[in-house]
Amino acid sequence: MDINRKLFLGRSGLGFGSLALSTILEGAELGMNGLIRVAPKAKSVIWLFMRGGVSHMESFDPKPALNELAGKSIGDTRFKYVQDPEHLKKVRVVVVNDANGRQRNKLYPLQVGYKKYGQSGIEVSDWFPNIGSCIDDIAVIRSMWTTDDNHGAQVQFHSGRHMLDPRVPTIGAWVNWGLGTLNENLPQFIGMGPRFFDRSDGHYLGPAYDEVKLKIDPKNPLDYAKPQGDITVEEQRLGFGLVNRLNLLSQSRYPDDAKLDARIKSYELAYRMQTSVPGVVNFDKETEATKKLYGFDQNETRPFGQQLLAARRFVERGVRFIQIMHGGGAAGAWDQHSNLKSGHAKLAMQVDRPVAGLLKDLKSRGLLEETLVVFATEFGRTPGSQSSNGRDHHPYAFSVWMAGGGIKGGVIHGATDDIGFHPTENPHYVTDVHATLLHQLGLDPHSMEVPGHKRLEKDFGHPIQNIIA
Amino acid sequence: MDIRLGIFLVLISSVISVAEEKKPGSAEHNEDYDEVKSLLAAKCYSCHGALKQKAKLRLDTRDLMLKGEVIVPGQATKSLLIERVEDMGEDRMPPLEDGAALNPEEIALLRRWIDSGAKAPAGEPVPLGPSEHWAFKAPKRSVLPGNNANPIDILLEKSRAKLGLKMQAQPERTILIRRLYLDLIGLPPTHKQLHDTRAWESIVDELLASPQHGERWARHWMDVWRYSDWYGLDKQLRNSQKHIWRWRDWIVQSLNNDKGYDSMIQEMLAADELAPSDPSAIRATGFLARNYYLFNRTTWLDATIEHTAKAFIGLTLNCAKCHDHKYDPITHEDYYRFRAIFEPHQVRLDPVPGETDFEKDGLPRVFDDHLDAPTHLHIRGDPKNPDKSHIMEPGVPGILADFAPLVESVKLPAYAYAPASRNYVQKDRLDPVRTEVETVKKELTEARKKAVETPKEEPKPKSEKETSPEQHQPQFTFKDDFGKPNPELWELIGKGWEYKGGAVHQTNATRDTDRLILRSQVPRDFEMTCNYTHTGGATYKSVTFRFDVSADRKYANYVYTSAHAPQPKLQVAYSRGGKSTYPSQGLVAQPIEIGKLYTMRIAVRDRLVNVWLNNKFQIAYLLPDRKSSGKLELSGFDATVAFNDFSVRSLPSEVELTNTKNKEPPPDLKPIDSVEVYEAKLAAAEAKLASSQAIFTAEQARGNANAYKQASKRAALLEAKALKAAGKYESKAFATDAGKVKAAQAKIAKAEKKLTETDKATYTPPRVSKKALETPAHKEEQYPSTYPTTSTGRRLALARWITSPKNPLTSRVIVNHVWLRHFGEPLVETVDDFGLRAKPPVQQILLDHLAANFIENGWSFRNLHRLIVTSETYRLSSNPTGANAKTKAADPDNQFYWRMNVQRMDSQVIRDSLLHLAGTLNLTLGGPSLNPDNAVRRRSIYFKHSRDQQDKFLKTFNDADHLQCYRRSESIVPQQALALSNGKVPIEMAEKIAGLVNSEDFVGMVFELLLGRRPDVAERRECETTLADLEAAAIEAKKPNATQRARRGLVHALLNHNDFVSIR
Repeated sequence: MDINRKLFLGRSGLGFGSLALSTILEGAELGMNGLIRVAPKAKSVIWLFMRGGVSHMESFDPKPALNELAGKSIGDTRFKYVQDPEHLKKVRVVVVNDANGRQRNKLYPLQVGYKKYGQSGIEVSDWFPNIGSCIDDIAVIRSMWTTDDNHGAQVQFHSGRHMLDPRVPTIGAWVNWGLGTLNENLPQFIGMGPRFFDRSDGHYLGPAYDEVKLKIDPKNPLDYAKPQGDITVEEQRLGFGLVNRLNLLSQSRYPDDAKLDARIKSYELAYRMQTSVPGVVNFDKETEATKKLYGFDQNETRPFGQQLLAARRFVERGVRFIQIMHGGGAAGAWDQHSNLKSGHAKLAMQVDRPVAGLLKDLKSRGLLEETLVVFATEFGRTPGSQSSNGRDHHPYAFSVWMAGGGIKGGVIHGATDDIGFHPTENPHYVTDVHATLLHQLGLDPHSMEVPGHKRLEKDFGHPIQNIIA
Repeated sequence: MDIRLGIFLVLISSVISVAEEKKPGSAEHNEDYDEVKSLLAAKCYSCHGALKQKAKLRLDTRDLMLKGEVIVPGQATKSLLIERVEDMGEDRMPPLEDGAALNPEEIALLRRWIDSGAKAPAGEPVPLGPSEHWAFKAPKRSVLPGNNANPIDILLEKSRAKLGLKMQAQPERTILIRRLYLDLIGLPPTHKQLHDTRAWESIVDELLASPQHGERWARHWMDVWRYSDWYGLDKQLRNSQKHIWRWRDWIVQSLNNDKGYDSMIQEMLAADELAPSDPSAIRATGFLARNYYLFNRTTWLDATIEHTAKAFIGLTLNCAKCHDHKYDPITHEDYYRFRAIFEPHQVRLDPVPGETDFEKDGLPRVFDDHLDAPTHLHIRGDPKNPDKSHIMEPGVPGILADFAPLVESVKLPAYAYAPASRNYVQKDRLDPVRTEVETVKKELTEARKKAVETPKEEPKPKSEKETSPEQHQPQFTFKDDFGKPNPELWELIGKGWEYKGGAVHQTNATRDTDRLILRSQVPRDFEMTCNYTHTGGATYKSVTFRFDVSADRKYANYVYTSAHAPQPKLQVAYSRGGKSTYPSQGLVAQPIEIGKLYTMRIAVRDRLVNVWLNNKFQIAYLLPDRKSSGKLELSGFDATVAFNDFSVRSLPSEVELTNTKNKEPPPDLKPIDSVEVYEAKLAAAEAKLASSQAIFTAEQARGNANAYKQASKRAALLEAKALKAAGKYESKAFATDAGKVKAAQAKIAKAEKKLTETDKATYTPPRVSKKALETPAHKEEQYPSTYPTTSTGRRLALARWITSPKNPLTSRVIVNHVWLRHFGEPLVETVDDFGLRAKPPVQQILLDHLAANFIENGWSFRNLHRLIVTSETYRLSSNPTGANAKTKAADPDNQFYWRMNVQRMDSQVIRDSLLHLAGTLNLTLGGPSLNPDNAVRRRSIYFKHSRDQQDKFLKTFNDADHLQCYRRSESIVPQQALALSNGKVPIEMAEKIAGLVNSEDFVGMVFELLLGRRPDVAERRECETTLADLEAAAIEAKKPNATQRARRGLVHALLNHNDFVSIR
């Protein structure tokens, strides 16, 4: 029997299929929705997403050939083949005749230098020196690809599906769906930062699996966190208390009312969230050293640093999935069609120190082994220049990295050709990142399916075995 | 007990119970066969089953596999089935382009099954062909006993009786009345209404006739039909249409008038063909206009195809975009024939009476524009790969096409294809022209009066004022190194100025007009240099150099650098009449750093400005105009600055400035103020009026070829005359500007040419409607202002096919939707898919009877609602407690409706209920969508609803997904608890409700008002205790009106009671 046959809590109640009973007894845990978790390494995920498209050749996949060939047209170099229409046809266009997402032929030199870091000697661009200093904990994947040449690719990276397909749950929603909660006082899926194309996560799983959106503001971290009227703390306590007691009385009038039971629980959790959530985003108890580590001392790094410190605190309290989006604007601030140098330099400055701080902080507290950190973007940028000093969207190849949660450190997986156009080894579609993540959490995507919403092989992806320790 | 042991035991028992369910006499039943069937269904049935029989082979029963000679029981290796699934080359099954190969486990399963004898249960039924599908056969009415009992009760009781199910009793009447009110009008009953003693049917009829009924049910249909207000990026419209609220009004009004559902469908799909002169019906085509998408026509039409099919006939046509449908008898060609129905249509905004500005109001609607636009099949669904070898003709899916009407072209009236022919349009367009004539008459009178009163002056031609008499001005130089304050040289406005370190600092980052004004008059043509540093600031961090500043500061020209984070820049800009313009041609993106020293050099000669930063040339810009005297100022905006030194001098004539490459901005010239000019202006205005009148007369003559010809000629003539008169006026009014004079003379020449072409001359049809851009590369002006005089009739034919009494799907789909929204569960689970995967519903007989009945009663919603809510079944208790044990065991999921289902209020009902109970709900019907705001008191249906705009409170309680919402989801999450207990609206309304309830039995009254029943002893005790505690708490906190405050607290708590949002 297939041990991964799904268990689904449908509208009509629990439905069990046949199972290899021995597996249950062999130390696997029962997760949410009856899923079996097998040998999980990670408990939580911190998902860092740079919106707009980070240039892979000027971040984690430096390409010195671009300097040699600067100013030359691709067609005049030994890389002419990269633009063969056969190699380009996988892209599915949303905006017909867009000004962006075109072939850019004139090779643009690297706008920043790079160095080797750590014992592993992995090359990282000079815009990310602090992350570079943590490279021995990081697995860099240089061979990602996607099929949207425009920013719908953000939806694609999070859900595995092109934005013109019907919306499906994001990886955060699946993790939320699949795992049990570790903390009775906090929501287990938290989100911070701007979103535009797709503002919810759960879709057909239902809004219960959406992120709970937060701001770093202890006075007002989440919607409706405090009474929007003149109600004292005591009055609120009495009110919640009465609601609770009356609903409990209702249980004898309506036994077996699952919704009533769920509502009682939701009110109890809500009451606790009012104090627990602001408490987590209040950093008074953190040391100055810690705050400095996350870049609180610098205007540019403070906002992102606060979000990451909050993420670490949430992880400590057992929150499962924290997704933080960086880069405002509809398209995403990293989208440098022009002024790549100044734009990326500025944005990299905002994230480099805080991210390194997060990794170091997690490590020193012994949390890195159980916390999977993902650093991603929706696509890369073209080797050729756009408007004299920018790069265009490049879905054919880009880089992401992962750290912690049982991922190997100091390794590179996958590679691109010397101008960073196509992957040359181990190409990975975005769902391979999802599959890797789920694997570390002990979940099998094949068991994560809901009746009426068939998922295909490309939705499940394959874990990237090479980077799993 | 250890949880794992507990699970173990549960699993053991479930496995055992599963085993017990196996059929008796199943000696031949092999566990593997179930799995084999699942596998083959997923990988093979779409081509080798009931749907299609490629190579004449079926695999959907064992016997068929034997018949097809693909399995040899006992010998997998000899079986063709195994051979084909193991083939790695072109003979592979499934074929290489149709799906992934079977994996090793799956092949092992097949081998095992075949090798062990290929066993299957005896008498395996052959799945029926698609034409036998229950939903493709016409729904039948049942024969019912002659009494007047409700068919729902009769049919359900019949099937309940078979299973021995006992219905629950009715709940308290107040609970029933609450349920009825919330269902039919979406508002809770008042006390008086709760205790209404009239017959049930009378209350039902009253509610069905109330305008609030249309509003409540409009929201349901807006879910299904995907209502969305327009959205895009900033001001760019990319999705849906502006003013689409008019479609919403049509929905509400149609429901309130009990318009037949068939008429509603026909109007939504083809009102422009059915009733082309009826704007009230044409509003309905908002259903199609909503799908508009600026960037991609295929994406737009894909949405149209998908959701027209899902909403009205419950078929997933969208699955056939790339290949034949895998489960339903819908082919790849069917998809593109369906697309061809919509290929010609586009969207436009028609004018509405009284408004000519389409930003303010308009009527979004569809029309056939490109009548011959070809539809091609997209190979594998790729729009880049159309099959141009043949054109797809419009058509409906072949499986149900036998009652499809022929497509007939529709001839349109002028009202439809020439909106300028409409009476109200003529009035709205001519009124301002008439007014202009009157205005100019007054101006002329004034000018004549003035000419008489004032002595004649030598008019100073403007050009003289504009020439820069550099030669008359002495050479001017000025310098300041800001080593020390120099109040006689500079006027300091504002508090933050400090002299230190050899510079003058502005230490206050404000948006106020803190500035340094140079007291001396700077020459008109000048060159200034300033060394300065941005030292910080808030958002914009701008350092500004202003010149020509008028005394009232409403006029200025300026240059500034801004260190604003996302877009640092250098900008040339100007203010006129207090309004600032930041021309894009005056902008240079420039990284500006805090703490870096900059040298700004500005040279101005006449209107030409050149700017250098740090000795690098930045930009040349031509200002619209200059004032001859004005001050020069230095300032910061949202910035702290340090000015190190400053110098300015007359611009030497030998200094060459770079010219602008860009077009000059239109100079803001004023016309010459003279009687002659006003006379010409009046002549032009009157000529324009005559021309406009003639043009509109011609428009109204459309439809009569001769009359139109005559009227066109006259209109062309008068239009040319008006052009000439305009040219004459402009050449007089702007006589000083050579450019304008030239343009005016060109007008006159053009007009005169037209006047000679009497036979060929045509007039310009007025542009009174606004077509939506087909792509961002187009400009609206390039589209014709009149439209095709016929429509293809394709959408009308489609609508007639959908609403044909022979269509087995339409009435079933809608009855199912209505049933779902009354009973909380649908009769058919997959509300948007009645295809082959939808098994016959348990209550098919009931569904079919209601569907047939629906058609026979003119597709009346009101009739259907009445039938449902007057049934006994509708009035059963939702509480299963005390139910007969056998009933509970036999039908735990209530598929036979032996009780009611509890539903939660939709988000709109929750909010409306809060406002209604508090007496603050504004029941005004209809109108434009409102911005989400806690202060709004209209019904929630009127909030803006799109991807980018939604009310937060509504969103928290599962608002409709604008992309697809055939069934609202319902969740129970802590965010809802927070919203209802901490939200502004619930708190405010709690206070108002508490104030309205005036009774000795406050607790009882409020409990009943909010929850629909009186409290029992325990509940009452809890409430009274808490009431007292709340009062004590208020007094303790020294809050005024403790009693009233406590009452507010009680009401607020009851609003959060499970039974407030639950409809029991």
